[in-house]
Amino acid sequence: MERTGSMTQRKWYSGMATQEDWWAVWLGLFFFGLGLFSIAGVDLVGWVAYPSTWIDITRSVKVLGEAYQGIGPVWGLITTYIVFTIATCIGAYFQKLDVKRFFFGWTFIFVLTYAAWILGHYAVITADVTTRDKYGLDYSLSLGEGGPFILCLILGLIIGNFFKPLARYLGEAAKPEWYIKTAIVFLGVKIGYMAMEAADFVFELALTGAAATIVAYLIFWPGTYLIARKLFKFPRKMSAVLASGISICGVSAAVATGGAVRAKPLIPVMVSTLILVYAVIELVILPPIFTATLIHEPIVAGAAMGMAVKTDGADAAAGAVMDELMRNKKLAMDGTRWADGWITTSAVMTKIWIDMFIGVWAFVLALVWVYRIERRPGEHVPASEIWHRFPKFVLGYLITWFAYLGILFLFPDVTDAARIGAMPVEKGFRNLFFMLTFLSIGIITDFRKLAEARFAKLILIYFIALFVFITPVALVVAYVFHHGMQVPLAP
Amino acid sequence: MIELILYHDGSCWVAGNGDISVAADTLDRLDDRVRDLVRDHGNYKGTGNRKVMMRFDNSTIPGWIRQYMPHYFNRMITVETG
Repeated sequence: MERTGSMTQRKWYSGMATQEDWWAVWLGLFFFGLGLFSIAGVDLVGWVAYPSTWIDITRSVKVLGEAYQGIGPVWGLITTYIVFTIATCIGAYFQKLDVKRFFFGWTFIFVLTYAAWILGHYAVITADVTTRDKYGLDYSLSLGEGGPFILCLILGLIIGNFFKPLARYLGEAAKPEWYIKTAIVFLGVKIGYMAMEAADFVFELALTGAAATIVAYLIFWPGTYLIARKLFKFPRKMSAVLASGISICGVSAAVATGGAVRAKPLIPVMVSTLILVYAVIELVILPPIFTATLIHEPIVAGAAMGMAVKTDGADAAAGAVMDELMRNKKLAMDGTRWADGWITTSAVMTKIWIDMFIGVWAFVLALVWVYRIERRPGEHVPASEIWHRFPKFVLGYLITWFAYLGILFLFPDVTDAARIGAMPVEKGFRNLFFMLTFLSIGIITDFRKLAEARFAKLILIYFIALFVFITPVALVVAYVFHHGMQVPLAP
Repeated sequence: MIELILYHDGSCWVAGNGDISVAADTLDRLDDRVRDLVRDHGNYKGTGNRKVMMRFDNSTIPGWIRQYMPHYFNRMITVETG
């Protein structure tokens, strides 16, 4: 078959119109831009429908923007569906997805997401010790936003594992990486917004996050590589791909490293299958374990999560669940009400640092491989490889973060007006895309792949490296750099 | 510079453009064949050192993985054409 090369990386701008990574930037920046109109007195984003804790289901959804209270929850839901359907279908078209299948898959996922999101806000699930009386309850699970997250994940896993033909059909629209990267661009708005209350904390979090990431790279990768090489006698290339996949940032690192060491594509594909399953296992078990053991060091827990959980989607999801669990536990323990989002931010920020370095890391590996190990005569490694592997959604995240930071610090007079447009984006849109991520992760996760896998040794090494080496070391590194940092109090 | 599209068909690395096409089970052998072909090819013969850029066709990677990392690798070799 003649290859057209339409999916090669030729120029620095290759993929801007066709890659989901870039489309996370475009979607994120588009809605961020709409939010900025509030500075001029026009709210273009407040129509988003947002579930709230309910006993009476007719009061389970509200519209976030003051200017849109008149349209009511039903029209809020319809507007949210229409706007995001158009936006994502345009993205799907440019990404050369099957738009018809994407549309139906997206619609199914969107409806199920909102159904689970609303159901998960039933007061028995979400209410905490301070709000039970308001809903006339003697008991509640105190899961906050974590309840709907978990519900979405469970629904997704049921579809992915028991309704396989449906899961395959929905696969065209179940894009957890696209959704979470878009959510992370929206998170940039939240961090810029939150920095008003705690600028020093954000700065410290960013700085220690970068330091922890570098330390983690230098410990995780060689350690995992040695386990694979010395303990399990894996070949060099397989060990390198495994080491990156398990210890750095999951599938993206496995693929980047596979390319760097010139491995046959089958190797990172095989490792990626395991990464996705293990990421969901971590997402399910680590938040309650960290909540039970690290309630006095919430930022350590968040940063360790960022280092231990692979794939952006699973990490952000795990951080969000832990954010809810820890805040509710703290409230129940001593009545302290931590501000929401900081624990998630610590998990995501650490992960983003890790993501940002993968291009450089893979480039260094390629240099070592080409010039020192394989010594292939006449071969050069183009420096442009660093850019081609750079996670572009980080640009959107930084733009939204610094734009809001700049507005709020340089133009304090417009702060209140800017917040009107920021809130629906950082709260409504961000959480919607988190929810979509949870459901999508579940849909594409098939636990039987572990049982069907004929690479038992690979499963074992992954287990040992992740739970015996990486997670404990992540906790130690996170403790060294983040201990003593406490979550700012809720306003 | 000569540009080739590179991919792996499951058993061999394949590099080619509309003009030339070669396949080999390892990149070392692929490079040897590319060199031979370029040296003997009428269009490139005797033109001094030629750089051959091989850009990986990322459609080789399954679609569900490309959402995590859309790029595998590009590589460049130098061929002395005499």
